[in-house]
Amino acid sequence: MSARTPQARTEARWGAIFAAPALLLILTILLAPLVVLVALSVTDYRLGAIALRLVGFDNYAAMLADPVLQRSLRNTFLYVAFVLPAAVFGGLGVALLVHARIHTRTVYEVIYFLPVTSTLVAMATVWQFMLHPTLGPVTPLASTLGFGRIDLLNDPDLALGTLALIGIWQLIGFNMVLFLAGLSAIPRELYEAAALDGARHGADRFLRVTWPMLGPTTMFVTVTSTVTAFKVFDTVVVLTRGGPLGSTETLLYILYLEGFQYFRMGYAAAMTVVLLVFLAGLSILQARVIERRVHYA
Amino acid sequence: MRVGRILGGSAAHAVLAAGAVVMLAPFVWMLLTSIRPPEEVFVAVFDPIPSRFAGIENYGQALTESNLPRAMLNGAIVCGGILAVQLLTAIPAAYALARLRFRGRELLFALVLFGLCIPIQVPALPLYIALADLRLLDTYFALMMPFFLTVFGLFLFRQFFRTYPEEILQAARLDGMGEFEIVWRLATPAALPAIAAFSVFSVVAHWNDLYWPLIVVTSAERATPALGILAFRDAETGGNYGALMAAAALITGPMIAGFLLARRAFVRGITMTGVR
Amino acid sequence: MLTRKQLLTGTGAAALAASLPAGRAEAQAPVTLDVVHAYPSFARFFAPIAEEFTKANPNIRIAFRQIMPNYDELHQSLLRGALTHQLPDVAFSGFNRLPELARTLAARNQILDLGPLIAAEGPTWAAENFSPRMLALGKVDGTQFGMPFNASSPIAYYNPELVARAGGNPDAFPDSWDGVIALGSRIKQAVPSAMGVSYYINSFDSDWLWQALVQQGGGRMLAPDGKTVAFGDAAGLAAVRLARRFVTECGMELIGADQNRQQFATGGIGIIFDSPARLAVITGLVGGRFPLRTSPFPITDKQNGGVPTGGNAAVIMARDDTKRRAAWEYVKFSAGPLAQKIAVEMTGYLPTNLRAAGPEFLGSFYEQNPNARAAALQADRSLPWEDYGANGPRIHRAQQEILTSIMRGDITPEAGLARMVEQTTALMRAA
Repeated sequence: MSARTPQARTEARWGAIFAAPALLLILTILLAPLVVLVALSVTDYRLGAIALRLVGFDNYAAMLADPVLQRSLRNTFLYVAFVLPAAVFGGLGVALLVHARIHTRTVYEVIYFLPVTSTLVAMATVWQFMLHPTLGPVTPLASTLGFGRIDLLNDPDLALGTLALIGIWQLIGFNMVLFLAGLSAIPRELYEAAALDGARHGADRFLRVTWPMLGPTTMFVTVTSTVTAFKVFDTVVVLTRGGPLGSTETLLYILYLEGFQYFRMGYAAAMTVVLLVFLAGLSILQARVIERRVHYA
Repeated sequence: MRVGRILGGSAAHAVLAAGAVVMLAPFVWMLLTSIRPPEEVFVAVFDPIPSRFAGIENYGQALTESNLPRAMLNGAIVCGGILAVQLLTAIPAAYALARLRFRGRELLFALVLFGLCIPIQVPALPLYIALADLRLLDTYFALMMPFFLTVFGLFLFRQFFRTYPEEILQAARLDGMGEFEIVWRLATPAALPAIAAFSVFSVVAHWNDLYWPLIVVTSAERATPALGILAFRDAETGGNYGALMAAAALITGPMIAGFLLARRAFVRGITMTGVR
Repeated sequence: MLTRKQLLTGTGAAALAASLPAGRAEAQAPVTLDVVHAYPSFARFFAPIAEEFTKANPNIRIAFRQIMPNYDELHQSLLRGALTHQLPDVAFSGFNRLPELARTLAARNQILDLGPLIAAEGPTWAAENFSPRMLALGKVDGTQFGMPFNASSPIAYYNPELVARAGGNPDAFPDSWDGVIALGSRIKQAVPSAMGVSYYINSFDSDWLWQALVQQGGGRMLAPDGKTVAFGDAAGLAAVRLARRFVTECGMELIGADQNRQQFATGGIGIIFDSPARLAVITGLVGGRFPLRTSPFPITDKQNGGVPTGGNAAVIMARDDTKRRAAWEYVKFSAGPLAQKIAVEMTGYLPTNLRAAGPEFLGSFYEQNPNARAAALQADRSLPWEDYGANGPRIHRAQQEILTSIMRGDITPEAGLARMVEQTTALMRAA
């Protein structure tokens, strides 16, 4: 029954008024650009051109045939595959360990969150120095650890992994904080109930209570980590510019070059649509997978 | 069992401590290098104590021979402007999403969820073209505009407002408070921890942002912190790493200091919204 | 009265020039010029030159934009600016990108022809100040669009101590590439932890060093028609073979450009090749570790070989009359002996102005700074820094990748060269 009481009408009116500015912003900053993007992607627009032509799916076809783009997709997926599990489970692991600390908890929280607050561009210049093959401390350290003479930024086989490690370094504290919040929201009674049910060891308690209760948090962490990993850019700009041998050219970096350096806006728009499809697809996939595996107590 | 607990405890500490060393290493390196004179930056054997304290010259050079002060001022202006608009638009909308029934509520929330997986880089292209046509590139407005919308904020505040006790709201309504008053005089003050947490996220993210400023900024007057450090690094061309590390410390310092100060409020805010 | 349309064409520029009393700008209300250049480290001389200029012309202020990291990014930002109505008044465009820039902007009437302005300075002004070869660097399709400001060609920087340890003569730098490689190889043997030679075309921020390697052997990147790729010939093959030999015989490792300079400065490389503009930076990096020396670039083909002239030229894009007058004064000053003296003293560039070498300007400088002479000694070997058109930056990235593969040994020099020719041709066509 939808009784339109004066109360309900007031609510509805104020609700609409409060939501209006945000809705307007969503329309102009999110939705309208998306429409324009899809439209641009079927044209040959170059920035400043007087006229543009509809080219149907030519841009998308060109993307399939473009080895630079294919490589950037591969690199991006590799990067995400490396960073995502490490950042999510690493963040979870650190959160579990830190959560149990009593005296040192605050100290660890701060230390692990520091990289998140720092300016990645600035810290990347620090990493650049640290990773210098002859003048930085990391290479000799790696030698003494038995890795031999490796050059983490100049070796085409290692550069992407190095960027991934820096990405994890920057992300893990963020996930830790989110998991910590999730952990502190789990009611104690659940653990007591589980103990009564025969759950003795830490692993048991984790699987029966902690992990399921963390479901929504895990989903949020996974989605945001995926998005963050996909949009890797700062480290590429500062450290490698796509080199060596194009091994660190990521999707967003190529998109930046195509759209804002070479001005092939139509092509860049098509690339953005592809990026969007991947992001949306991955997010939906992750949401489904996590929801299915989680039982709400 | 007790032994197990103790061992488990020290193992945990060992792991955490090792991780902490890795987390902190670049900061330590940055600070140590920032006080070294140029001739001692590249040495075969690393001696943490430089023979000459060059901190004053390095930090001095970073402040005077670069665009850093201007970049940091711009950072403050841009972050402040963005945060103001974000709070003004997101708080009421989140309150409405959480507590009021209105037409299109479900749709709006679905849009918010959708927006969570779309980073700024996606709408960047059309926004850039639009700003170029309007001759608004290289302005504060251009730097701030795309971030006025914050789906993260909408999501976070909605989470918080959902847990706000209905009784208080009813009592306020019975007292004759209008919805407008309720939002700003009642709900917002109660949400301060969440607002604090969100503010930290927002300011940090936009202070550190590179992609969008890289695209829209051409003049030195509008440089943001990330652009400032990039320009300084290129200027140095590997000449004086001491000054470069000093610059890095200056750029990233305010964020770290701010976080340390706001830490308690930040943690409470995150916990209260307890992403569930 | 000049109409807007006339202003936008060369006749307008001539009329404008004719209305200027020779050598003096009309003092009007204060004018601020919006200027952009590349390489943040160049602020070292751009800033003092701007100061000197404003002292001499108090009603004209120079405001510099965010400095572009390199010539390619400057070029892209100018092209972007042309389309988004954000062009500066004056820009210092890299020589290799100047033709592309001038052609694009001229088609949209956004760049000023400096010819009439030069003529208006008097019949002997040009000849007194500039050699024809120098002025030619700023000409595009016969029109003088750019005023050469910085000019340089690649030189060798070397560590005489490492050379001596290898049994070489620090005072007689080899003048052939076989000689350079032989020396580098001996350095590597004498000091196994060091690189003998580093020729870092794998990470240099433009194709300047690569063009040098081809041009010194008598080759050219493009045929005279400017449309066909020409480096697939014997000279190009010799160049890629050299590139590989640096790695196999001289112990070269493929690291970043900055890393190379740092390693050289700490005594970890015997010989590097770079721009004389970096003389001041490299000297500072080296400090007192060893007595840095420089030498002209070895040229194999003494008849036709040469080196590409790097550097930049000033172009004027201001639309309005007053700004154009002010811009011309600034550009003229920058190419004048005083400004050139400042630039050369701060860097190691070749002065573009003939009078700058005179005793009251740079005379004693060369006496006291022998390392700065290397660039000047090869002035008559200057060739244009060739450009591939609209897709220049992309072509550079593609070429650099293939060169890196060749140097790594992933692909033979012959196959690599063929691939470079193929990709360059394809990209030129796709522009």
